[in-house]
Amino acid sequence: MSALYVVFEVDGRLAAFDAADVQSVIEIEDIYPVPQSPAWVAGLTAMRSQSLTVIDCRLALELPAAETPGERAPVVKVDGHQYAIMVDAVDDVLEARSDVLPVPGGFGAGWKRIGKGMIETERGPVLLVDIDALIAGPCAKAA
Amino acid sequence: MDDLLADFVAESREMLEAIGGEIVAWEAEPGDRARLDAIFRFVHTVKGNCGFFDFPRLEKLSHAAEGALAEVRAERRTPDSRLVNAVLAIIDRITLMVDAIEAGEELPEGGDDFLIAALEPDTSDTGETVAMQAATTQARSTGGNNAAPRTIRLPVELLDRVMSGVSDMVLARNDLARRLREAGAEPTLDGPFERLNGILNDVREAVTKMRMQRIEMLYNALPRLVRDLSAELGKQVMIDLDGGDVELDREMIEMMRDPMTHIIRNAIDHGIESPADRLQSGKREIGLLSISARQSGNRITITVSDDGAGLDCAKIGQKAVAAGLLSDTELAAMPDDQVFELIFEPGLSTAEEVSSVSGRGVGMDVVRANIERVGGSITVTSNKGEGTQFHLQIPLTLSIISALTVSAGGQRFAIPQSYVEEIVHGGARAIEFSQVGETRLMTFRERRTPCISLAHALGLGANEVGQKQKLVLLRLGPSQLFAVAVDTIHDQEDLVVKPLAPAVMQTGIYAGTTLLDDGHPVLMLDVPTLAQRNGLNAEARTRATVPNANGNKSEADKTRKVMTFTGFDGRRKAIGMELVVRIDQVAAEAVDRSESGDKVVVGDTIYTLLGLEPGCKLGETVRLLRLSDSQSELSYAVAELEESVDLVEAIKPTPEEPGLEGVVLHGGQPLRVIDGFALFARHACQPVQLDRPSCRIPGDDDWASRMLQPLIQAAGYRIAGEDEEGADIVIAMDSHAETAASDAAACIRLYSDPDEAARKGDGVYRYDRTGLVDALRRARQEKVA
Repeated sequence: MSALYVVFEVDGRLAAFDAADVQSVIEIEDIYPVPQSPAWVAGLTAMRSQSLTVIDCRLALELPAAETPGERAPVVKVDGHQYAIMVDAVDDVLEARSDVLPVPGGFGAGWKRIGKGMIETERGPVLLVDIDALIAGPCAKAA
Repeated sequence: MDDLLADFVAESREMLEAIGGEIVAWEAEPGDRARLDAIFRFVHTVKGNCGFFDFPRLEKLSHAAEGALAEVRAERRTPDSRLVNAVLAIIDRITLMVDAIEAGEELPEGGDDFLIAALEPDTSDTGETVAMQAATTQARSTGGNNAAPRTIRLPVELLDRVMSGVSDMVLARNDLARRLREAGAEPTLDGPFERLNGILNDVREAVTKMRMQRIEMLYNALPRLVRDLSAELGKQVMIDLDGGDVELDREMIEMMRDPMTHIIRNAIDHGIESPADRLQSGKREIGLLSISARQSGNRITITVSDDGAGLDCAKIGQKAVAAGLLSDTELAAMPDDQVFELIFEPGLSTAEEVSSVSGRGVGMDVVRANIERVGGSITVTSNKGEGTQFHLQIPLTLSIISALTVSAGGQRFAIPQSYVEEIVHGGARAIEFSQVGETRLMTFRERRTPCISLAHALGLGANEVGQKQKLVLLRLGPSQLFAVAVDTIHDQEDLVVKPLAPAVMQTGIYAGTTLLDDGHPVLMLDVPTLAQRNGLNAEARTRATVPNANGNKSEADKTRKVMTFTGFDGRRKAIGMELVVRIDQVAAEAVDRSESGDKVVVGDTIYTLLGLEPGCKLGETVRLLRLSDSQSELSYAVAELEESVDLVEAIKPTPEEPGLEGVVLHGGQPLRVIDGFALFARHACQPVQLDRPSCRIPGDDDWASRMLQPLIQAAGYRIAGEDEEGADIVIAMDSHAETAASDAAACIRLYSDPDEAARKGDGVYRYDRTGLVDALRRARQEKVA
């Protein structure tokens, strides 16, 4: 297996996006909040003169907000909209050493909705995140 | 017409290019059926298209070639080399003619009969065919140097990609400009950056134009829609489309399609009466639905008007009361035009019976919402028994929106300029604040307007509305106003608006996002939703305005609204606003000046024209005020139109000047107020409907109905019915010339032979287009005079 994954840390756990889905990793400077928007939408930010929607990964997982948000954020594009995903820390780009595997014992509540499966890497097992589900936020759970 | 012609040329070119190879292959192997079919299709299409245009020679040629090829296809003839040569010669000639059409030149003269004769199986002289071919080839090489296609077809997605690329470039440019500013003066960079700037602006303008389409695209489907609907409803409706060359954004055309369809459905279903009812009320059986488009600045005005029964004020009022939109007393206090606006409220449908065509109460409110969504507005005017007019105002393009940037609760937001009515400082003396329950009200210009704090509405702060803030007055409908209190007002700028991510769109209060020049993302507010979320729904808005109209009546009596203008005598004048129904602009030719009184033609109607001074010079166009006393209409020409003002000062009567009510001081200058009563007392008369003159053409003649009819209609005539008596003009073909009816005012004879036409001198050769059009115009002028 030679597929590449962008591995990041959320709430002490490792998770990953398919590297093909990640356009870049940026350092978020200023976040402009969007009043009345769902909690997991942290706001808007500008990247190279484009505006991105910033998604707080912790809040999307219904975890408590981070005390010090990570500085770097992967940028993904879904349905023509660009999102910066706020995570605790961007770890590395790693090669998968296995196919996407089901997790023995399940993911647990918040993670279940966004988890596609597990991959083995040199850093150990990593949860593969379904970007669409992450961006849809906890509301989509009901649907 | 020019567009159609360009399409014809482009299509013929494309096909010629495509069959270029086929022709050569067919020449090598005349028995090849597939090749033969391709060439047959080509000449057939050309023939069909020619019938559409006025290219009889082209039609004749392609018809002859089609005939010969059909013989071959039916295997009644074998394709020998002579036939192949003759067909190829004809195709060459077609190419030549298409070139000439495109260049706008006369078609190359002569030789067609010769080419057609060469197709005949019994032509034996092959030598001539070869000579003929040589001649056409030569002609082709001299005229064929502009054969490169002028247009290419592109997928729309590609255009969109280019457009969004350019938008991004604009944003990147702004970003770069900001960084350059921050870095301080850098002469080596400033020069190239300025150049880049200029180029980018040019490209942006060009790309914007690329996305523009003529509103004809919207119009094209309408005649069919009207035809189908009127047939379904048993009505007769004629559609008149004007201003098809107005251009607007392709996307905007798509956005307007549904609202327009809906308005037209309503007009035909509810507006225009059945033929019997129309006859009874003294109208023509056929209803007229006219749609016109005009561009003014960066906005387009589309007017849809019908000559039907008009809106029924009483019925709308009853429905509104029944639907609980307002109370009887409120209705009684409401002026008619405000009642008409109620049709845009949810839950109103005025049709007695709900038909399949225009549903049940869902409708005009959705139309208004859709139009406002794209930054437009819609209003309605109506005269009972005379018809209804819908006026739609829409911006030219969706992607660039002129907006006001404001700050509230420490954040910046953009408000589409189209909603902004006025900006006032909270500290201004003319403003009073009050609070009723939780609702904040502000009184400005004797109008009590609900006021919301933007910061509070967005959950960023307390519901503070006070003197430190700036108030942006936003207009939702023609009579619905509300104020938004913000901390700071920054600027008005043109913003490239991008869609928001779905999670943000869900909130409903934002319409998009954009980056400002300084690189900050800014949210564009969705004004109607914002108002709705804050309880400013239809009910509240109506309630807020009606007591006002009532309570301040005595004060309103003191002021008079007048329209000020400069007359052709160079004096500043004013006329009561209540008389002015609309402002027209006509070409100077539409004005007919004479001793007995000036007239002007606006649309299809002749009005008495006032306001001109003897011997005064007119510009290319003349601005007119259409005045109405509700019975009759007059037109008043003005040299320069000013504004509408409220007169507070008393008018000083001037009995020595008849026609003047008096003089009033306005802005330190005397303003002469025209006496509307005297004006109508002297000049009132019904405008004359300009009947289209009728023209009878030979009914049993295919050529006449196919070729002549469109030409005559284009010249402003209608075609008289078979058994209609007393047509204004009769067209007689030479074969029937003697039977021409004598009851007509005028008769035009057509001859199929130019020589005969010249010899007899009393008619026109039937393909002499200019001659024919001239003759028609002369006859029409005689009638009008």
